[in-house]
This record gives sequence, structure tokens and C-alpha cells, in this order.
Amino acid sequence: MVPMENYLVLSGIIFSLGVYGVLARRNAVLVLMSVELMLNAVSLNFVAFSAYLDPDKATGIIFAVFVIAVAAAEVGLALAIVIRLFRNRSTANVDEAATMRW
Amino acid sequence: MTTEVLWWIFAVAIVAVSAGVVFARTVIHSAIFLILSLAGVGAMYLFLTIEFIALVQFLIYGGAVTVLILLALMLTRMAASGEPEPTTGVQAPFGALVVLGLMVTLIGVAVSTAWPGDLGENAVAVSIEHIGEQMFQNFGAPFMITAALLLVAFIGAIVIARQEDED
Repeated sequence: MVPMENYLVLSGIIFSLGVYGVLARRNAVLVLMSVELMLNAVSLNFVAFSAYLDPDKATGIIFAVFVIAVAAAEVGLALAIVIRLFRNRSTANVDEAATMRW
Repeated sequence: MTTEVLWWIFAVAIVAVSAGVVFARTVIHSAIFLILSLAGVGAMYLFLTIEFIALVQFLIYGGAVTVLILLALMLTRMAASGEPEPTTGVQAPFGALVVLGLMVTLIGVAVSTAWPGDLGENAVAVSIEHIGEQMFQNFGAPFMITAALLLVAFIGAIVIARQEDED
């Protein structure tokens, strides 16, 4: 079987790619997708730790369930904000929505 | 042995499609890469023998979340202008630097740490029954709070995205 370090390295790479997407891309929906990548990497990390180090309590697995639930709520809200932004500004680029009010 | 080869194929594929999400020029391509990446992570949960999380991953992420994202892409489609716009902002090089440092740190920590115990070789199968027992015996309050959070979030999403009357 695969040692636990492999999962940690894989999730580290996915997380870093997600951070780059959040920092660099302009499209708001793409920033959101990058956040999803990061959340996924974190869940993978939790589940790997739980499966290898703590299978009796399953705490990491339950944490991953909560991460998925909160991610669903976050996606719903964030997409509503993006749609609202697009309706008001006719753009979905985060760097063109720099003012706090209009 | 076969499992290990399969694992490496999946790992390389996940890294490739995740890079596709971040670097693709068209947003729709990014969304499709995201679906593949989420499904790949679901396969990773299967490798870890945690079937419950894998199922949840396929259902919630592969189904619901990606449909939402595709819908938002459809609603925020911009009119095609003459030349293609830059997809990254001016901060992209600095972001790349930060991310390189982060990646090196994360991988270094994961590889160099001595993880406790003599496990390390095998992931242990965790049954759905066991997860359910733990969830409702020890994590009842967070479960309730999550339910309330979902309700509040979706009411908020409706309120924010609603078309307002012109008055």
C-alpha cells in the first residue's frame, strides 16, 4: 500500500495550486474554484491522517464531512455574490470590483 | 503492487487536472478540469478505503457544486471582445513566488516529519456504521449547527441573488 506521506505531498501540491489560483486569477468564479481545490486538499489531508493514525475515533473523517457541508454553503453564497456583482458591474473580474460601495 | 501503480497514475492525473483548473485560459475548461480533479480526489478516498467520504465527494462535489459553478459561469458570461483579456492580474508573479515557497515547505514538512507509531504501511478500513456512531455520539452539536448554517447560507444566497423590483 501507499505510505501516508504520499497523500500529504499530493494534498500539499493541490493546496498550493489552489492558492496560486486565488492569488493570481482575475475571474471571480475561478477564484472560487481554486478555493474548492484548497478545501479538497485539506479534506484529503484530514481523511489520510484519520485513516492511518486514528481509525478508531474517525475524527478526521467527520471533520471532512463538515468541510464538505460548509463548502457547499460557501459555494452557494459566493456564487450569489458573483451574480449580484455581475448584475451591478457587468464584470466578473475581482480586480475591477475594488471599491467597497457605489 | 497493482494498487500502488494505480495510485501513482491517479496522483499524476490529479495534479495535472488541478494545474489545468488554475492555468486554463477558458473558464469553462477550468470548470471541466475541476470536475475531473474532484472525482480524482474521490478516487483517493477509495484508495484510503473510506467509501462514505468518497460517495459524499462524488455526490456533493461532482454533482451539486459543479452544477452550481457551471450555472454561475453561464449567468456571468461576458460579451466576447476583440482581443482576449489577460486571465491573471499584475500580482501573478508574486503569487507564484509565494506559492513556490508554500509548496516546498508543505512537501518538506510532510516528507521529513517522523510520523508516530509503526503504522505507515496500511490504511485501516473504517465502516459507514462506525462513522455514523461517532458522528451522532460525539459530534451531535456540530451536526445541528451545520444544519442551521446551511439553512442560513441558502436563505442568504436567495436574498443576495434575488432580482430587486424597480421602485
